[in-house]
Amino acid sequence: MLFSMTKRPWLSFALSLPLAAASALPFSVLHAQDAPPPQKIDVSHFTSSVEDVVIPVPSEIFNALDKLGGNPNWGSVLPTGESKFHPKVQAQNALLLGVVIADGFIAVEAKDSSRVEQIGRRVIELASTLGVGKSVISHCNAISEAAKKDQWDGVRVELDRTQNSVREAMKALHSRDESQLVSIAGWLRGTDALTFLVGKDYKPDRADLLHQPQMLETFDRQFEEMGNSVKADKMVSEIRAGFKKIKPLVDSKGNEAIPQKTVTDVNEITSALVKNVAP
Amino acid sequence: MPTDSAFVKRPVTFLLVALCAVGLWMPTAHATVDDALTFALEAMDKYIKQGYNLREDTWGGDLPEKEAKAITHQLFKGNDYWFCMGTSTKGAKISIHVYDSDGNLVEEAGSWQREKGDAAFAGSQVVCKKTGTYFLIVKVEKSPEDRTDWGLVYSYK
Repeated sequence: MLFSMTKRPWLSFALSLPLAAASALPFSVLHAQDAPPPQKIDVSHFTSSVEDVVIPVPSEIFNALDKLGGNPNWGSVLPTGESKFHPKVQAQNALLLGVVIADGFIAVEAKDSSRVEQIGRRVIELASTLGVGKSVISHCNAISEAAKKDQWDGVRVELDRTQNSVREAMKALHSRDESQLVSIAGWLRGTDALTFLVGKDYKPDRADLLHQPQMLETFDRQFEEMGNSVKADKMVSEIRAGFKKIKPLVDSKGNEAIPQKTVTDVNEITSALVKNVAP
Repeated sequence: MPTDSAFVKRPVTFLLVALCAVGLWMPTAHATVDDALTFALEAMDKYIKQGYNLREDTWGGDLPEKEAKAITHQLFKGNDYWFCMGTSTKGAKISIHVYDSDGNLVEEAGSWQREKGDAAFAGSQVVCKKTGTYFLIVKVEKSPEDRTDWGLVYSYK
């Protein structure tokens, strides 16, 4: 299990206050690796200790794609219009919220401030439907302010906090399944955008970003542990089935590159699922 | 709440707000994972100022001396990561090292371990060369306590 925490603009301030006394002290001991770590370990030895995998936020993957060059056209993967779709089922609302937050990360990459603001409003709307609107209002206001000033790093941070606050607030409401669906849908939408862009301008390096079989295993385990009503939801079960199809495609062995055809295959699966969640 | 499995989940936001509001935080005899996380964040602050993006997800728990724990984590080629670990157990020494799925050490040369006042810290940098699953090995190298609190945060750029 993981902690969840939220970094605020006051984080540095918060840290500086309580630690002021300690900060006055020099680092009393600096170990230059007293005993160097082993160069190789038997990871199977730790199998019993392995916990759930952290689900990366889309910006973590998008950042890597940007670094691999090619100048991706992020605007081309933004949704074309402002959706007013409101699912009647909470699980589907959670999925839609996850997709919309991921759209926010894409809008940040596209540096599209008006879309970011629009997405911020939509996040509040959907979070309110899920009963956790209060937990995101301050983040969405911060997103809007930062977007107006083109402070894209600030928007990224606030989007991460938004997703985290929603998840925590939903868990507090005993909606753990819906909380996980927010992250799952965020990953789905992020992968949809990633595969579209990599498919358009294929390079093995970029396709390698899809090599995430462990994530798909984690998602499947999370689906399995969800309540029967959530698990039986048509949209949820379709996403689970879609992920089962994706897993063998991205489970490249050794140094084998993920081919372009596979990237487009994954994109076909993810884009159909995203359209289902956010028509 | 720290458990034997050494992983707990806690609203750290509340912790930081409380610390900030009261302004009276001091390490106590009863080290907690929240304190450990605060120190991990302190260690990370330097890297955030260098442009690294702090992730909201964190890990923490407690471990006996000499025991290591592995955390699986997905890293992406091209990203530059810092993992910072903290403990509020006085006299403890902790470490964090990163291995790939074949068990090869992949961290940069600048990884470090430090003690300061009542806290101890460790950091490890990975410039990811291959997308995939990695293992973060956290360990309490030495400690005067039966169990030692630890917190781990990460950032990327």
